[in-house]
This record gives sequence, structure tokens and C-alpha cells, in this order.
Amino acid sequence: MKDCAVRRAALNRMNDLGLYLHVPFCLRKCGYCSFYSEAGRRDSSRWLAAVIRQLRQFFSPRPLTSIFFGGGTPTMLPPEVLRDLLAECRQHFFCAEEAEISLEANPATVDLSALQTLRQAGFNRLSLGVQSLHDTELRRLGRPHTAAEAAQTAKLAQQAGFANLNIDLMCGLPDQTLQSWSETLTQALALRPQHLSIYELTVEEGTPFAQQQKEGKLLLPDEDAALRMLETARQMTEEAGFHRYEISNYALPGCECRHNINYWRNSDYIGIGPGAVSCLNGMRKSAVADAVEFCSRIENGQEVWEHEECLEPEAAFRETVIMGLRMTEGLALDELRRRFSIDAAAYYGETLARLTKQGLLELADGRLRLTAQGLLLANPVMAELV
Amino acid sequence: MKNIRNFSVIAHIDHGKSTLSDRLIQLCGVVTAREFHDQLLDNMDIERERGITIKSQTVRLPYKAKDGQMYVLNLVDTPGHVDFSYEVSRALSACEGALLLVDAAQGVEAQTLANLYLAMENDLEIIPVINKIDLPAAEPEKTANEITQDLGLSAETIQKCSAKTGLGVEDILEAIVTHLPPPQGDPEGQLQALIFDAKYDPYRGTVISVRIVNGTLRPGDTIVFMHNGSEYKVEEVGWFQITRNQKDILSAGEVGYVIAGIKTLSDAKPGDTITRKDDPCTTALPGFKEVQQVVFSSIYPISADDYEELAAALEKLQLNDASLTFQKDSSAALGFGFRCGFLGLLHLEVIQERIEREFDISIILTVPSVRYRITLQSGVVQMIDNPSYFPDPSTIEQVEEPFIKANILIPERYMGGLMNLCVEKRGENITYNYPTTGRIELHCELPLAEVIYDFYDKLKSLTQGYGSFDYQLLDYRISDLVKLDILVNSERVDALSQLTHRVRARERGLAACERLQEEIPRQMFKIAIQASIGGSVVARTNISALRKDVTAKCYGGDISRKRKLLEKQKAGKKRMKTVGNVDIPQSAFLSVLKSEH
Repeated sequence: MKDCAVRRAALNRMNDLGLYLHVPFCLRKCGYCSFYSEAGRRDSSRWLAAVIRQLRQFFSPRPLTSIFFGGGTPTMLPPEVLRDLLAECRQHFFCAEEAEISLEANPATVDLSALQTLRQAGFNRLSLGVQSLHDTELRRLGRPHTAAEAAQTAKLAQQAGFANLNIDLMCGLPDQTLQSWSETLTQALALRPQHLSIYELTVEEGTPFAQQQKEGKLLLPDEDAALRMLETARQMTEEAGFHRYEISNYALPGCECRHNINYWRNSDYIGIGPGAVSCLNGMRKSAVADAVEFCSRIENGQEVWEHEECLEPEAAFRETVIMGLRMTEGLALDELRRRFSIDAAAYYGETLARLTKQGLLELADGRLRLTAQGLLLANPVMAELV
Repeated sequence: MKNIRNFSVIAHIDHGKSTLSDRLIQLCGVVTAREFHDQLLDNMDIERERGITIKSQTVRLPYKAKDGQMYVLNLVDTPGHVDFSYEVSRALSACEGALLLVDAAQGVEAQTLANLYLAMENDLEIIPVINKIDLPAAEPEKTANEITQDLGLSAETIQKCSAKTGLGVEDILEAIVTHLPPPQGDPEGQLQALIFDAKYDPYRGTVISVRIVNGTLRPGDTIVFMHNGSEYKVEEVGWFQITRNQKDILSAGEVGYVIAGIKTLSDAKPGDTITRKDDPCTTALPGFKEVQQVVFSSIYPISADDYEELAAALEKLQLNDASLTFQKDSSAALGFGFRCGFLGLLHLEVIQERIEREFDISIILTVPSVRYRITLQSGVVQMIDNPSYFPDPSTIEQVEEPFIKANILIPERYMGGLMNLCVEKRGENITYNYPTTGRIELHCELPLAEVIYDFYDKLKSLTQGYGSFDYQLLDYRISDLVKLDILVNSERVDALSQLTHRVRARERGLAACERLQEEIPRQMFKIAIQASIGGSVVARTNISALRKDVTAKCYGGDISRKRKLLEKQKAGKKRMKTVGNVDIPQSAFLSVLKSEH
């Protein structure tokens, strides 16, 4: 077991290492969101001190290949605070020259000068939570901005020098039609982003949407309509030169999100802040998802970890397989063999043959990947491989 | 003997029988407050949840009456469901009197009446007790009127109480002493002991509940069971006071237990008479019947690995419940299991729940069946209760099915609906009378197969819970029986086959197809579900192919949770039974079994 961890650690040295920093503040909570965040403007200085202290507890000789400030809404913090936080990260860790440094932002939370400050601070990728470019849909989602504000913020970001812009969009929304969805896509593409994340709405437990669904007050497009929306997204993005590299992610060549690819490769990452998850050398830990509790634990020198998980090698292998299958390039079998000393084809045997025969999986050029059909039925396929 | 009172509490369901029993036990100081937990007598989870008592417990209460004398009050508990009416009648025959408990808000109900009849058949003295008088909706005067006018019971003996608060309960104890007769019987006579219950103790063997009618019983006596002549030597006798209280002797008029190294329950049958070998009585006590299994179903473990455990569980259950029978069975879809016989549907449900809860084994049951008498053209007669053994229809001369005589009690306003239900269920020779104002007692001959399918559920919903019924097996009558098969993507699921009357086949086939359609999860291909008789399809439903099931978001913070969800999905799939290429969950098998949604 220990040998294995050591060997895995050695191999990981060649891989990417990401840093995620969770900013748990939002203007208000959206009806569908299950991420940990707290609504309203509040004093963030205590949180700030705590995350800096937590940051300093980590040590890694390996350079960071990506940094991602996510949330919540990081741009709820003043740009100067974000700038200083990033400086702190880059000072404490080695940071690769070409590292991808992303910032999540919501429309209308930043103006041109803020965006300029952030770009100059070193953020080189901006991820904008647009979701829809129809005001009625935005209201239904509980988003605190309009379509016009979203488009405006995208333009300002480009003006401020962000040459790597992602736009988050959602389909399968209440009252959304195929027509309104293609309009959103057309307008989003017209903003010339380098990257698109396109999520079908998932009703997560414990959200207001889940409650509305239970009460029969959440009418979502049926399966046929949702399938047509996904297919429209695939076609329109392809025509605009994007390629789908993950179940929900589309990019212009070379603009794939390095930070997220690191997750799908099931490699190492450091998570900072309440609720953030770290995974280092096969050990995964998540911090308590409560800002006050998080701060007081840090202040009192206590552990912030609430859950810890270290999978057995075979379970870690299977988890790596299902994560890897999210990407359209799939998994390189020789790499898997090197990392886990397991031959995937032999390990899954009959199951693999059956899923291949059913047209859900394909094994070609030494890579295992989901077919177009398999990408739509990823859950039942993964449930056989997990 | 003059200071003994043997009595039961009888009531409509939920009128407070268990609460009153507990209060009586508490007042007589049999348990301390610390030991007391509500509804002491219902000691199985299932009993507490359903508010019914399945296995009766008896308790001896010492009571100092106002006349200054000590009395022994034996409270004989009774099970409360139609499947167990024979056991109820045996328990009542061990008593001289009964408390007829009536809810002050609900008034006299159908089961009040049915239980009153049962008590009267056993010549019991009745003390009416109006319970829940503390409720805001209580109408004790109106209820008292019903008791005197409609039931014809004496107004003088009526007691009013709240078992919950304890109000009036002391007076009930006094009434038991003054109004109920002491037992009769000759302690010097030849031993006649009535068996009214039996339980299995893993250390001592069968513990038999008896009422000594005549004579005495001591440790060391050799006893004979009169129905089969088997002999045992008595090891221990005593009283039940929640726990067993060992004594030197039980004599005429007393209620207690006997332990005699009996390894199985099959010798100790309720209603049988025990006598002494050295000085036997000449006649057995009246009323003994062999219990008959009337409902049959196969039980399979979800996981084939649990087969041995299931066998052990059934053996253990049978130790305490001689009315359960089982033998090996097998199915292409479900593997190895057991064909089991039950007293009725409730009995089946209780056994199912006990296997799942007490033994933690996930099981699947097949559609319950009655036992048919099939005469082949060759003249050979077969008794068939399992669709798997249904002979080739071309070789059958005639099929007969069991009929029952149903006694149904309902408020008058439901009469029209009940008549329709009886006709719909192929009822014959319907007659009725008016035992009390506003109530109808209806007699009807019905096929047992219809009764176990959904008759009771329908009666309950039709009468908003006010109808109750009771039945006895009558005879076998000629029937037009067919075997209905269920096919999933053209593969026959043998465990879902059922025997049914031809006029019911289409309707049941469609019901089964519709339930399977609801319960089988969509899969990556279209699934056709068909019901067929001898190869011709009588009903059909489809399940469309699953076209999309994918998690949109999965980043660092989601990995563990999403993986666990997939692992859960994988475990769920493992628990399913695969027929052809279709995965069928346990719930689908169970849904076909259920008659109502």
C-alpha cells in the first residue's frame, strides 16, 4: 500500500498540479445551485485571513500548472483583494510560467477598471456565468443580472485583455424552447469566446428547484426536447470551430481548460477555502463547508478537514476510468497500466465487450472512449465500470 | 377457584385494546413504571406499526378488590385479524368473560359486532367498555345507546374509561370481579386442558398456553395430546406475568403454561385437549380444527447466496408458527426458493416482513395462489397451488376451485357498492339481514382466489374502512382456470405466472403489464411486456428506450459524491434479476403481487 502510494507520487510528479480557491460568497443564491456559498454582502476579511493561513499550510515542490478562483462569486470581492490573494498564491507555491489562471465572474459584478486590475494581476482566463441570454429564463433561474449585462461584461473582459474567455450556458431550463436556446447560443457565439461550458440543468437535492419539482411547479423540457437542445449545441459550436472535449465543455483548439482537465485525469490538486476539496497522492480531503466554522478552526489551529478518503488501488483505478471517460479523447490504456499496473481490457473483460457491442464504448488506437451514443448514456455505462 | 376471572378484551381495530391491556397490567403492579413501555402485549415491531396483535400473550394479574379479597385476573390476549379467527375463538373459549371495548367517538363498528358474535358463541359474559371518553369528539351517551339498543347488552354493566389517561380503569377491574363469573370445573376430575396458543423457546422447546378445564397438571405428569395421541413428560408449569413464573401445579379454572420438552409446534395445536396418560378423560373439549393453509406463494432470495439463510429463517419462523408450511421450489428467473403455505394474505405479509426485518434477507414473492383440484382425463386427481405445475390444458377434464362463505358486516349505506363488489367477484347465493339499526350483515359464497386477490382491499376502500369480514372454507366448485404468463422481451418470466379464472385473465394481465411498466427502469433498448394465455397475447405494454442519462457537471469537489452515486447504481443493478437482457428490480416482482396501488 505504502509502496504503491510512493510510486504513484513519483508518477504524479510529471503531472499537472492545480490550485482551487473557493470564494463562498454570492449576491444571492440561484434556485438550481447546490454549491456552498452564502448570499448577501458580508465582511470577508476574516475569511481572507483564514484562507491565507490555510494556503500556507500546504507545501509542494511541484509547480502549479493552473490556478482557479471559483465560487460562489469571486468577483463579490474587490479586485484588489483578488489581486493580493493571487499574489499570495504565486508567492507561496512555485507557479509554472505558462500556468492557466482562471477567475469565475458573474455579469454586472465587474466593470472595465476592475477587469483591467484583474488581468494585470495575472488572471489570464475569465469564466463568465452567463447561463442564458433571455431575461425571462434568467429570472426563472434566479440570476441577479440581465442578458444585456452579460453580453456587456463579456465585451468588457475582452477589452480588458482577457484573450481566453469562457461562457457558461444552461439548457433544459424551465420554459426554455429550442428556439430560445438556439438564440442564446447564437448570441453567445457572437461574443467570440474561446470556450463554452454547456450544462443541461440538473435538479440537485436540497435546492429550491428540487422543492419546486416535488410540488409539480418545475416544468422542464421533456427528454426529446432536451436531446434536441444538446444536439443543437453540438452542431452550432462545431460550425463555429469549437470541439467538444468533455461531456459539457467545448473549446477552440488549444483553449481547453487545463485546470479542469486535471480533475478529469484524476490527478492532484489543492483546494483552499470552506468546502474545497484537495487530492494529493491519492488522498482526498474536503474542508468543512461553513465559512464561520472554517475560519474558527483555522484560527484555533484545528484541522479543517471534514471528510477524508483514500481509495484502494483498484477503486482508484476505476474512479480514474469513469472520470477519464468524461473526456471525448477517452483514456490511454498504456498510461492507465503504467499508473495502476492494471490492464483495463482484461480487468473489465466481458463488461467491456458488451458495452462495446452495444455501441456505447469504443476501443481504438489504444484508447478507450465513449461513443456519441455513450456520451448521452454516460451514467449507466459508468455504473458498470465504477 | 371462585377468586379467578378469565377474560379477553375484544374490540374493533384501533379502539384501544392494547392501551387498555397495558393500563390493566400497570394498575395491577405486574410491571414497574421503569419496565413499562407502551403496548406491552404487542411485542413485535410489525404488530406495533399495524396496530394489530398477531401472536397473543397472556398475563396473570393479581388484584385486591374492594371486598378486601385477592383475585386472580387472567387477561387472555387475542389476535385481531380475519386470518386468525380460529385462534381468536380458541382464546375466547379459554375465558368466561370479555370486555367489549368501544371507541366513544366511533361507536359500535363492524368488528365490534363480529367479535361480539364470537364471544357469544363461546357463551362469554360481556362487559361493555366505552373508551376514549376524554376525546373532544367523544359521544359516550350515544355509544351507550348503541350498546343497549342495538347490541342488546345491559346498561348496568357499561363501563366508561380513558385507557390513555387511566380514568375509569380501576372501575373496570372491579367490574371484572363483580360481573364476570368465576370458572367452573372439577379440580378432582380427569385432566382436560385446552391449548389456546403455543410459542417456541429456543432453550425450552414449545411453551404451550393452556386453560385447565378440569383436573390438575404438575411437573412429572405424562400428558397426551388427544388429536394425535403423542405423549410427553411435563417439565414445568406456571403462569405468565410478562415473564414466566414457575409453579408446582396448575388446577381447574387456571390459565398458565406447560413446558414438556416438545421440539416442534406441530403437536401443540390450538383447540386440542391435553389429558393425563395415567388417568385420561373420555372426551376431548369441543371445537378443535386442524388449521389449513389456503394461500400459497413462493419466496426467493434476491441474492442466490442467501438461500441457506432463507431456509434457516423459515425454519425458525415455523418453530413459533406451526401454520406456516414450506418446501423447496425453483424458478428459471429467480433460482432456488421455497413454496410456502399461509393462513391468509395477512399471514403472508407478516411472514414476508419478518424475514426481511428480523433476518435481514431481501426476498421476492410470487403471486399468491389458492389450491386447485384438477381432474385429468386419465382420471388422476391433482391438487395444484403452483402455476409451474399446471398441467397441459388439453389433458384436463375439469378444474375445481375453493369457495368460502363470507360474512360481511357493513353500515347500511354501503350496501349497493357491496352487492356490486360481490357480483363482480363471482359471488353466489347472496343473503343479508339487519343485526342492528343501520348495519347489514351479508352472507355470500365467493371463490377464495378472488378474496385473496383484492377483495379485502376493495371492501375496505368501498366502506371507508368500516366493513369487516370473516370467512370459512366451504367446498370446491368447478372453475374455468387458465395459466397467465408474463413475457418480457418475449422471454417468459416464470415467477410472474399466475393461475386465474378465464374472465379475469385479461384484466389481471393488463394490471401486471402496467405495474411492470412502472417499476422496470428504462434500459438502453425498448422493452415489450406481454401477458399471454397458451401463447396468445391478451395484454401488452412497452417501456421506451432510455436515451439520455448523463451527469452534466463533475469537477474536483464532485468526484467522490458522483462516484458514490454510480456505485449505488451499480449495487442496485446487481440486486436486479436479469431475464433475457432485461434487468428487473425486486419492486417489479412485488408490484405484480400487490393488488392495489
